Amino acid sequence: MAEIAKVKFAWRIIDLVVGGVFIYAGVVKAFDPIHFASDIDNYKTLPWTMSVRLAFYLPWLEIFCGIALIARRLYVGGLSLLTPLVLIFLVATIAAKVRGLDITCGCFGHASQNWNFPAHLTLDLAILAALLALYFRFEVRK
Amino acid sequence: MRIRIFTFTLSIFLCAIARAELKWEQTAVELHPTAGDKEAVGHFKYQNTGSQPVRFKSVHTSCGCTVAQSQKEEVPPGEKGEITATFKIGDRTGTQVKNVTVETDDPNHATTVLTLKAVIPQELEINPTFVFWGQGEALKSKSIVVRASKDFPVKQLKVTSSSPDFQTKVEQTGNGQFKIDVQPRETTRAIAAKLVIQPEDSPKVFYATVSVTNAPATQ
Amino acid sequence: MRQALVLAALALLPGIGQAIYFRDKVSWQSPIPASEMVTVAQARAWDGNVIWVDARPDVEFERDHVPDAVPLNEDRWNELLPQFLATWSPEKRVVVYCSSQSCNASREVARRLRGEAQLKDVFVLQGGWEEWLKSRK
Repeated sequence: MAEIAKVKFAWRIIDLVVGGVFIYAGVVKAFDPIHFASDIDNYKTLPWTMSVRLAFYLPWLEIFCGIALIARRLYVGGLSLLTPLVLIFLVATIAAKVRGLDITCGCFGHASQNWNFPAHLTLDLAILAALLALYFRFEVRK
Repeated sequence: MRIRIFTFTLSIFLCAIARAELKWEQTAVELHPTAGDKEAVGHFKYQNTGSQPVRFKSVHTSCGCTVAQSQKEEVPPGEKGEITATFKIGDRTGTQVKNVTVETDDPNHATTVLTLKAVIPQELEINPTFVFWGQGEALKSKSIVVRASKDFPVKQLKVTSSSPDFQTKVEQTGNGQFKIDVQPRETTRAIAAKLVIQPEDSPKVFYATVSVTNAPATQ
Repeated sequence: MRQALVLAALALLPGIGQAIYFRDKVSWQSPIPASEMVTVAQARAWDGNVIWVDARPDVEFERDHVPDAVPLNEDRWNELLPQFLATWSPEKRVVVYCSSQSCNASREVARRLRGEAQLKDVFVLQGGWEEWLKSRK
């Protein structure tokens, strides 16, 4: 029983950490949506009109999904939104790097502007792995 | 019947191969005008490699400072030609990029954007080009830094003010850099002057503006 | 799926609210930094504290321009800049315009005023001369 409790606790920590990361990331970007819009535009994959509208929406989506993970309400909805978001972001980041674009934004808006590419990539992959693990665990428990 | 099928197939074949195609030698040209040049001219050469003539519908530029002209209105198959883009440099500085949009009746390449990049040499970099004092501001000198480009070494700088209301002093600070200290005689009234900055042994002149504005000094 | 839709819808509310709050500070159509752009209405609201700068070629300025506008284009920058600076003072806001959104001249002139002359409060008119004309009707 103690073992099960420990495992449950460990998964709960992952919930809290991943949820917290997304809430933090969302808040940082929500404070400065104008800068976030130029950061999205720097990836040169979407027209400006879409980038600027997404800049107002995505941070709040991250915040609400992060809360969903922590509060365990609308939990799987949160996971199923965050996972493709991180995946799209990862693909866009790699594509931008391959195209030689100068991007200074990672998950954390301008807070991560001094990070290098490997650091960004590592964190994003770790977040994706955690999300996938949480998702599969949820499916198994179902 | 056979003849009809043959004629039909031949016409399809002819339609398929009969096409207009304008091939450009290059769609981006980089120019390096020299210091005294008033214009930079880019030549965009093309050839009609198709079997149908190509007609130019329009040739227009991204700004009034660039004029583009096509030698011909219609290009017969196999013929060559060029579009000339003349960029008026004026008092522009740095790298200038101007586009020329060409529209033709070639269905495969109806619109082509030609890019003209002109790298305008900058002998002197003056920073700032405008210095001012508010009315009643303390009579302290302010500095203008002048940096000579590595391609245009400058040994000495001559600075003259268009008005005796401003005094200037030039100091060489090394590494092709100069400091111009400017001070007005008074800041109780609005006055202005143009500083003419001329490198020794160069006919080219540069400018900075100095003034005492109408508004009081901000703290 | 339903949960995802609920979350997506919930996030729309503060997103839209924030967009409404920022509606005048953001360039919704083109990627020009928001702080540089100003609408005709905003510039008019500044009333007597504005210097209008016409960045178009001389011939277009001669034809018509914003009342009391000062010409300043890159063709005759060295000649026109001192004339412009003679009208400038620190409390005034500078609004640069040229022909329509696609013309780059106003942004270039604004950039040089900020960079070379180190002026503060230099803006670019959203929609350019065409937008001004529309507002005149």
